[in-house]
Amino acid sequence: MASSSSLGRVLTLCKRFQSVFRISPAISVQHCAVNLKRCQNNLLSEKSFLIASSWITPISFVGQHRALHTTVSRRGLEEFFDQPENWGEPNVKSGAPWTAKQLRTKSNEDLHKLWYVLLKERNMLLTLAQEAKRQSLQMPSPERMKKIERSMVRLDTVVRERETALRLLQTGQEKGRPGDWRRNVFGYEYWYRFKEYTIPWYMNKRHERKKFYTPHFVQPHIRLRIERFLRERARKVNLKRKTLAKLKERFPQMKLPSS
Amino acid sequence: MSVTKMVYPLYQLGNPQLRIFRPNWFLTLVRPGKEQPPDTVQFRIPMDMTKYDVKNYLEKIYNVPVGVVRTRIQFGSNKKRNHLNQRVKKPDYKVAYVQLAQSQTFTFPDIFPEKGRTPKEGSMEEMQEKFMEDEKQRQKPDPRRGGVTEWFGL
Repeated sequence: MASSSSLGRVLTLCKRFQSVFRISPAISVQHCAVNLKRCQNNLLSEKSFLIASSWITPISFVGQHRALHTTVSRRGLEEFFDQPENWGEPNVKSGAPWTAKQLRTKSNEDLHKLWYVLLKERNMLLTLAQEAKRQSLQMPSPERMKKIERSMVRLDTVVRERETALRLLQTGQEKGRPGDWRRNVFGYEYWYRFKEYTIPWYMNKRHERKKFYTPHFVQPHIRLRIERFLRERARKVNLKRKTLAKLKERFPQMKLPSS
Repeated sequence: MSVTKMVYPLYQLGNPQLRIFRPNWFLTLVRPGKEQPPDTVQFRIPMDMTKYDVKNYLEKIYNVPVGVVRTRIQFGSNKKRNHLNQRVKKPDYKVAYVQLAQSQTFTFPDIFPEKGRTPKEGSMEEMQEKFMEDEKQRQKPDPRRGGVTEWFGL
């Protein structure tokens, strides 16, 4: 099951990359099917595809003798739709979504390219879903939407992780956007994120009306809030104690849980 | 650069142009409800996209020559009510009418063509189809009556 799904993903991703890198379909798909592992490892690196297709498309050697691909896809609006073979099919096979662990092994350029691949796929699925709603028909394999969404979210997380790591090393700042702990009118402390303005804060008339302190008359309300919180906590503790007492009465040999 | 919530830097005259990497915008190509000119493509776009954004998006990512983009916001109705008599809002969306350059034309294709699928032998689908056919046969009136309904006595 896992192998077939990964094969499916490799095949679909191979098919997607055909559109970008303009490789003759039959050969690259066969190549991927035969060398599954290698495709999986070198999926997004240009080298493996060029090794397969070096005698199909023209290559040019630039700089450090690394073969550079020069053709660009001219598909245009066709990319908003699936391949014509899949039109009208009740099910379309798709592989597993990308996990964060797999994405962390990829380089930044690969992630950047993958983002656009996923974006185009998502646009295609949205078009398909809308057309299916229009024709009152079922969309083939709607689980693809969730897979793509999750892959994109994970990709974003990985990129943000790398950005924060780099920022910490270079500047020592944890957050990209400057902020501060401030107290609002209701007595809560929250993380206030700074916003860019054209004029300084002491010249901003509207900003003056915003209070970053708690007025004196709010203290009774804060006290009532604290009382409510303490009452709730006491209720929870009492409930736990009473249930344990009841159980102990019913089952005398019971061992009380350590928590 | 681009995360779930886009934060636009302040622009003042002379600032460098804003560049967006990994855009978080998704377009939906829709079939036009009303008849459109042959070079017009209709999209549903997120509310915060502008005409220039759509133009750059299609040109850079899809390599489509774009001439003019016109947008409008479609109000989603708030009139329908649910079983609790609460009003249910249909979401608003922005529609973009993109006219292609270089005198290119586009027709929305038929994505759900009828495909005559014969189910393979011994499968569930074949049995189901056979059952449905038998049921239909049973419901049909007697062909010997020549189209006359059962209500008449003879």
